Amino acid sequence: MEKLLDAVGKLCPIPLEEAKIEIETINSGDLLRIDFDCPEATENLPRWAAESGHEVTNFDTISEGVWTVSIKKK
Amino acid sequence: MFYIVTTGILTGAALGFVFQRGKFCLTGGFRDMLISKDNRIFYALLLAILVQATGLLILNSLGITNATAGATFPWLALMLGSFMFGVGIILAGGCAGGTWQKAGQGNFNGWIALFSFALMATIMRIGPLRSFRESLQLPEHLRANNSIADTFGISNLILVILLSIIVLFFVIRELRKPKIKIATLKPKRTGFLHLLLEKRWHPFFTAIMIGIIGVIAWPISAFSGRNSGLGITTPTSQILEYLVLGESSLNWGNFLVIGILIGAFVCSKLTGEFRFRTVDAKGAINSTVGGFMMGFGATLGVGCTIGNGLVGTSLFSWQGWIGTLFIMLGVWVASYFVYILPRNKKVKMNVAISK
Repeated sequence: MEKLLDAVGKLCPIPLEEAKIEIETINSGDLLRIDFDCPEATENLPRWAAESGHEVTNFDTISEGVWTVSIKKK
Repeated sequence: MFYIVTTGILTGAALGFVFQRGKFCLTGGFRDMLISKDNRIFYALLLAILVQATGLLILNSLGITNATAGATFPWLALMLGSFMFGVGIILAGGCAGGTWQKAGQGNFNGWIALFSFALMATIMRIGPLRSFRESLQLPEHLRANNSIADTFGISNLILVILLSIIVLFFVIRELRKPKIKIATLKPKRTGFLHLLLEKRWHPFFTAIMIGIIGVIAWPISAFSGRNSGLGITTPTSQILEYLVLGESSLNWGNFLVIGILIGAFVCSKLTGEFRFRTVDAKGAINSTVGGFMMGFGATLGVGCTIGNGLVGTSLFSWQGWIGTLFIMLGVWVASYFVYILPRNKKVKMNVAISK
């Protein structure tokens, strides 16, 4: 199961704040994919995932200034 | 004029590049102390202050600079203004220097915040609100001694030593924490370019770079006839004044802030972070209101996160430290209403739905 959080166009720290809420709605082992375009989130999303013990399964650039990260809930 | 333009833009561009590259955002740093219980950027700010304080102490003793706290500061205006500025930067999504940087990385909300910030700062500085501002800033009973060293009868050297003990304690404690592995984007470059453009910069490294730029800025600016260091608010407002009235001439500080935008643009272009990011109606309103509050607060409080938070603090002025404290208070109050309350509401709603 993968849930998509489309946070493109949302300023930091909104993508991170929404990710924190969305991760609570999925089951352990399921994926949360976040698409975003605020540069700070390339730092704070993977950091939050690592600190919370979730696994980052994919982290890539979609196009210039837009990124995607997939987080597997612990 | 050639000297002013080139050194101002180069210093600003270096600062903008480092801000952008290090993702060094004091607004976010102060906010995260409350909403993420993360103090790293605050410690990094203290480190940047220490680097700058040490550098200026040395330059002062060599007679190269004359960087001092100044005689008195308007305590009431400072507290009110800084608090308001703190609320404003949360709404606008970045501090004064931050709006220049965000404009450079293509954020439309940065441009909106920048324009409303410049407009309100100018209204307060030389426009119809000038007499109101002066009524809070100029009366003697609303002013107090500005030098922390003079208040306690000690020298700035002692204060630098005290600060370095505090900073070393926090920095070492932070660096001793077990390292966690954080996912990164696939590197496209190697060697120096990888370090310059891709590898994650530790906030403490970024802070040291900012501190060094702050030290260098002072003699460069003083040589042009402007005896102060980094500053954002007054230079930004002066650009608007120049554009509209055309009477004053541009000074070093004006090119410094333009340089920040250029540095952030170049950096974000090279790192692939540049993008024209539009903003929805709610974001536009927040940026406008936030920018107005920033312009009002920074002019009333005589300084922003750079002028007071980075420079005033390193001169060991009450103005710098009290201003920074009240900016933080404003950031926390605003963050509570903007981030914490909605988060709690949504979590409750999700729990109710899943039941």
